[in-house]
Amino acid sequence: MCVGLSAKVVRVDRGTALIDADGARREVSSQLLSDLEPGDYVMVHAGIAIAKISESDTEESSHVLAGILNPKDNQLS
Amino acid sequence: MERTVLLAHGGGGVQTQQLIDRVFKAHFANPYFTADDAAVLPMGKERLAFSTDGFIVSPPFFPGGNIGKLSICGTVNDLACMGAEPLWLSCAFVLEEGFALEDLERIAQAMAETAKEAGVALVAGDTKVASKGQVDKVFITTSGIGRILPGIATSGAKACDGDAILVTGDIGRHGAAILLAREEFGIEAQVTSDCAPLWHLVEASLKTCPDIHVIRDATRGGVGTVLYEIAGQSQVGIEITQEDIPVDPQVRGICNMLGLDPLYLACEGRLVLMVPKEHAQDILKSLQALPHGQGAKCIGYVNAHLKPGSVVVETAIGAKTLLPRPTGELLPRIC
Amino acid sequence: MQDDVASKALSLLKAYAGPPLKIMEVCGTHTHEIFRLGIRQVLPASLTLISGPGCPVCVTPVSYIDEAIYLALEKDVVLTTFGDLLRVPGSEMSLAQARQKGAQVRMVYSPLDALDIARQEEREVVFLSVGFETTVPGECLAVQEAEKRGIANFSLLCANKTMPRAYEALEGSADAFLYPGHVVAISGTQTCKALKDKGVSGVVCGFTAAEILTALACIVHESEKGEPFFVNGYPRVVKDEGNPSAQQLIADTMESCDAEWRGLGVIEGSGLRLAKKFSARDARLRFAIPPQSGKPNPHCRCGEVLKGECLPTDCGVFGRACTPTHPVGACMVSSEGTCAAYFQYGQS
Repeated sequence: MCVGLSAKVVRVDRGTALIDADGARREVSSQLLSDLEPGDYVMVHAGIAIAKISESDTEESSHVLAGILNPKDNQLS
Repeated sequence: MERTVLLAHGGGGVQTQQLIDRVFKAHFANPYFTADDAAVLPMGKERLAFSTDGFIVSPPFFPGGNIGKLSICGTVNDLACMGAEPLWLSCAFVLEEGFALEDLERIAQAMAETAKEAGVALVAGDTKVASKGQVDKVFITTSGIGRILPGIATSGAKACDGDAILVTGDIGRHGAAILLAREEFGIEAQVTSDCAPLWHLVEASLKTCPDIHVIRDATRGGVGTVLYEIAGQSQVGIEITQEDIPVDPQVRGICNMLGLDPLYLACEGRLVLMVPKEHAQDILKSLQALPHGQGAKCIGYVNAHLKPGSVVVETAIGAKTLLPRPTGELLPRIC
Repeated sequence: MQDDVASKALSLLKAYAGPPLKIMEVCGTHTHEIFRLGIRQVLPASLTLISGPGCPVCVTPVSYIDEAIYLALEKDVVLTTFGDLLRVPGSEMSLAQARQKGAQVRMVYSPLDALDIARQEEREVVFLSVGFETTVPGECLAVQEAEKRGIANFSLLCANKTMPRAYEALEGSADAFLYPGHVVAISGTQTCKALKDKGVSGVVCGFTAAEILTALACIVHESEKGEPFFVNGYPRVVKDEGNPSAQQLIADTMESCDAEWRGLGVIEGSGLRLAKKFSARDARLRFAIPPQSGKPNPHCRCGEVLKGECLPTDCGVFGRACTPTHPVGACMVSSEGTCAAYFQYGQS
């Protein structure tokens, strides 16, 4: 379920955002996310931006792995 | 099998094949009948290739071409894949009442330019007009005759163990361009169709290595469909490497939005070749030297250890999985 | 493999020497990606991945398709839908087959696109509102926008589902869950934490190779400790609180209801329908759709497949009467469906 697309925000305009995925662009709804700015990365599902993305998947995964292998060194739950 | 014609029967996959076998092959059978792209006909000492193709495309104009250019490329490429130099083409138009003459002229102009580039002459034609609503703007059918180069006998059934598998450029651009031009999904991108006449690529690669085993153009069902067809006809296994498949980043972006795989998006200017491994590098060089072949790449090998008829992909994590078989109408996957 | 993190996670998995573990993914996109990447083949034999009921197409009951077809053929309604639903078999036919009989069925990328169609269309337009927590906010937005802009000819045929009760129904079918990243991105992690308190373990999982392998590595690592666990393995997208605006929007637009899951039967409180104040936009009420009994093919074992009780290959019609071109059950339709994945990727 729930095919997600990670994309960069190009423009934000009253409840909609223009997003860019490798050069393919589309207007999506940004109503579920406050304070979106151009340059942010978002997860898009069925034309709606559902979450802001904070880092790349590989950065994230190395943090998660470090978190379970050395639980004292970080605060991830 | 269904009792009515489905859109999937025109998808170029398994169901198209079933329709041909059940309806057309059953009635048309004769020694020259072929379900391949072109028939091979003996004519004195020469061998002619003869092919025909109908074109309906909505919309008729799209970035990188129009239905006219497509109708020349389609038949030229079908001939070229038999190792035949395209010589003469005919074209038949079915026009919808009310279609703009200006648009028809743009189509004719594109046809003339493409025919010139391919070195083929348009020598006969026919025009019919259907009343409004009976056809969608314009349908074109082209037929073509070409001369098969002496000593050349490529066939979808000739792929051999160890053959290198080449594609002549990034895949899926025609399908993506049409998807965008239909404006159904609100996506914008600078993708132009790969639509191109490919005889010069075929000629150059055959000059480099007359012993090329298979030449096919990837059309409706994309490169994935062609690989399965060849694996089936040649009764060999095929192995490709995911990361070596050339895909334009924007085409990848569109596919990610809609949950599609570029391997099944249509191409109209891409060849798939199966060539003896030792000649692969030379053939690649000769392809890359030509305008429509700059992006040519080796994407895998024929492998006799795999199950005949199967296509295996080495994935990004180094695992090997079967490539899903194409299944008719391409549907976006979203929810 | 260029990806260092992915290979690190993979070596952790390959080194696993503990007791056999059954891990259930409950998101169709996870099923799809796990097959596409060939993850099963690189795992040690002691780790088994089972596909649970997370593909909205697969859990949609036959009667829902019948309702949609009734609207299109009897009420001359324009149906708008995600492409996913087009080939799902109803009692008599699929939407694709209904289209040949003259039904107007249009594919859209977003529920908001369906609203645009309604704006340009004089006829009634119904959006086939399926999907889980992730998809529901967009469907709520479409209804709210229709109200705001006074687009009267737009309604939803709801078969939306929510996950919490489904986990309960699946209790005992696996040692740990791969939680669906985009569902949790909306609803937040409290359901997963509550499950941990009840002894149910799981890891929130993203969708790239690195993320899936990392989540699996988390599961084997945490399992060795012998305690129930919960890890957010997708923190770049999933925040503990989820998406509060989306939660509020759902609460303002929809209400909880019992829902029928293909294979699992009716699960109390596991569905969503439009709230009373939007009942005019509930297609079931608006068009007084008569109850559809929905006759699934008796040989189809999708239900057991969805619960992880049997493998697709155990089903008598799998690969024979039931193939991706001629699906008998919903699990063969969607490329996220377990049966389609087994068929396409040749698992046995």
